Amino acid sequence: MGSTTTRDVLLSLTALLIFPGGLFLLLVGLAYEWIDRKLLARMQNRVGPRWFQPVADTIKLLAKEEVIPDSVDAGLFIGLPIVALAGVLTAAIYVPFPGLPSVFSFPGDLIVTIFLLSLLTLCLGLAGANTFDRFSLVGATRALTQLFAYEAPFLLALLGPAFVAGSWEINEIVGYTDGRWLFITQPFGFIVALIGLIGKLEIPPLDAPEAETEIVAGSLTEYSGRGLALFHLGKGVALVLGLTLISAFYLGGVATPLLFLVKTLALLLVIVGIHALFTRLRIDQTVGLWWRYGTLLVLVQWLGIILWQEVMI
Amino acid sequence: MSEVVKKKSFTIPIGPQHPALKEPEHFLISVDGEIVTDAVVRLGYAHRGIEKAVESRTWVQSLYMLERICGICSHIHAMAFCLGVEQLAGVEVPPRAQAIRVIVAEIERIHSHLLWLGVAAHEAGFDTLFMYSWRDREKIMDLLEGFSGNRVNYSVNVLGGVKFNIDDAQETAIREAISFLEERTHHYLHIVTKDAMFLQRTRGIGVMTRSQAEVLGTVGPTARASNVYRDIRVEAPYAVYDKYPARIVMDNRGDLEARFFVRITELFESYRLILEILETLPDGDLTIRMPRRIKAGETISRVEAPRGELFYFIKSNGSDTPERIRARTPTICNMMSVVKLLVGHQLADVPMILVGIDPCFSCNDRMVVLNRDRKIEKLMTWEALRQYGIDYYKRRSA
Amino acid sequence: MKLGTMLGDIAISLFSRPSTERYPFERSETPERLRGLLIWHPEECIGCGLCAKDCPAGALDVIVLDKEAKRYQLRYYLDRCTFCAQCVYSCRQGCLEMSNERWELTALDRSTFEILYGNGLQNG
Repeated sequence: MGSTTTRDVLLSLTALLIFPGGLFLLLVGLAYEWIDRKLLARMQNRVGPRWFQPVADTIKLLAKEEVIPDSVDAGLFIGLPIVALAGVLTAAIYVPFPGLPSVFSFPGDLIVTIFLLSLLTLCLGLAGANTFDRFSLVGATRALTQLFAYEAPFLLALLGPAFVAGSWEINEIVGYTDGRWLFITQPFGFIVALIGLIGKLEIPPLDAPEAETEIVAGSLTEYSGRGLALFHLGKGVALVLGLTLISAFYLGGVATPLLFLVKTLALLLVIVGIHALFTRLRIDQTVGLWWRYGTLLVLVQWLGIILWQEVMI
Repeated sequence: MSEVVKKKSFTIPIGPQHPALKEPEHFLISVDGEIVTDAVVRLGYAHRGIEKAVESRTWVQSLYMLERICGICSHIHAMAFCLGVEQLAGVEVPPRAQAIRVIVAEIERIHSHLLWLGVAAHEAGFDTLFMYSWRDREKIMDLLEGFSGNRVNYSVNVLGGVKFNIDDAQETAIREAISFLEERTHHYLHIVTKDAMFLQRTRGIGVMTRSQAEVLGTVGPTARASNVYRDIRVEAPYAVYDKYPARIVMDNRGDLEARFFVRITELFESYRLILEILETLPDGDLTIRMPRRIKAGETISRVEAPRGELFYFIKSNGSDTPERIRARTPTICNMMSVVKLLVGHQLADVPMILVGIDPCFSCNDRMVVLNRDRKIEKLMTWEALRQYGIDYYKRRSA
Repeated sequence: MKLGTMLGDIAISLFSRPSTERYPFERSETPERLRGLLIWHPEECIGCGLCAKDCPAGALDVIVLDKEAKRYQLRYYLDRCTFCAQCVYSCRQGCLEMSNERWELTALDRSTFEILYGNGLQNG
């Protein structure tokens, strides 16, 4: 590896904190949130927010007083949003965002990335369980139930391309899928990955953990000010990273920033379309749907991949 | 209610401030995981003392107070009041005025059902249907604004007739709006009965059998969706409903999907009625002179509000202020069915079942005190009520 | 049973203008019968006071300056008015009407809400 110079350290720090991770990623997360809201509004024949709305929301939230309820563990209450955001930002260093090869990589970093992405949901669940508020407790229960339901098929769906690429390192997988449109050869895996992403990010129709009309805001009911801003940012970043992973694996790689933009935005359009078209599912329907159709589809897909490998080899 | 609270159950409060409710009421839902085991309702958060206030206002002024009991069914409240007072005074309203009243009442029914469709879709999480049905509802609001000058609280009624006339421009506007809405309503009926994900939230949920509906005393589309033949326009026709009969819309499934179906089909019925009345609108005056002092006596008037049977008891003592007006609104009848139906369902179904009865909480907060031991119904005077409240809170904080 | 029944609506909306009226930059025309600010035409007034008696909100006061010369003033409390137009209907002389142009009546100062209409004092 050789000796690390100050230049290397500075470059690493910049990559982590400013570009392409850190600040740049946060801003891109906010931009994608804006595109999400604007597209949804236009689909519903409304105007939608102006471009600076998510930025304004974040600034406003950061400037507000954080109200800490009496009955919570203050350390956990303040710490969990920070851990959640830190988790997703760390996941970014292994993901080919924004179309450039990832900053660091090592064999097996696919599993680490997915774990770091689900750290957000875990923190949400813990944050909800932290209080005595009934709404938060129900939201936390639902969030953790949904996490258990969606983690396994999502991981299996992402492992499909990993299997055919013969590696568990994201860089190598992306190198293999560059130019190969795997969503044609592994359609079920693609569908499972997409719906798994929707479930992971708690986007409607799979947003039972934060169903506004039933449990106010789920786990985030008690949060205000800085904690809410950090969770919010974390969700935006998770959206971007999830989209990057799926486009990189299934939509033929993200070799350049332009391709990254086009492919992730196309995927975002599909996700917003699904958001607009469908009713929210109850938590038992969400989990039931997944354990019935999702797992079945991904197992069929794997069967297909294994048989194909056997036939070819 | 104290027994429920003392039990070691996990209670979730829906309301008084909750995104599911458009108006404040308190529902204490006891859950076991996600299944509801008990539900207690506590009303009274939107009580404004209107029934007391009208006792010190003239008949003309009370009309406007009663109109503002509810924003969505304001015209039908005013119409019930006017019909009752005209009956007391023995005055015959010209047929053109009655016809215009019925046209506006049907337009209000359309408005209310479209609003309800949007709110119900929002509770289910289907925001797209919410946005589209409320966009189409704007057509009705514009129509009413063009006709009467205001989007809510149209104040079309006066004692003895109506204030505004339907001329050719109005008639064209009404026909145009109805033809646009008819097309959209077909689309909404298609969505509500065919969309697979939406049906997962409404089919088989909140099933109320016919006997349950009759015992619980439900009225309106909630009852009609459980195959109960109850519609005041058909059973006891008022205004011009004897000349232009309404057709009752019923469904025998009794679940949420049936309630959606009944209300959307009632929209078609309203469109048909309005066009039929417009075809043969009788000529004549708009109002007739009403005395300032109404003859002593009591009367009742029942009308079909968009939510069910609206019942007014009006008592006059010969002066120019009412002696007692009692408005029994349909939501209070349907409220107990919600409490009964919620048990056994999932928590996510609670807002859906609640919205299935089309709750109008502003309507249903009236003052009745039941003395449970002696089974006597008592009404409290203003001073006694105030003192009761002060003593109650003093005891609680002591 | 179909999936995604609103697809047609969504696809059309993506390519058409939103139906939101961007008030105050776009204002649609007010209908003729809009019930806006109350306007008093004092020429026909006979001072019967029916408008003030019938007002459900107590928003009108008829002030008699000179009964024989038929000089009256009308004090109109804009913040009490519910815009029900009962006064318009009650007045048998047709002195009152509700404007359909002046309906943006918000103000930062409460004093503008008490309007005194009078002979020779045409303010408000």
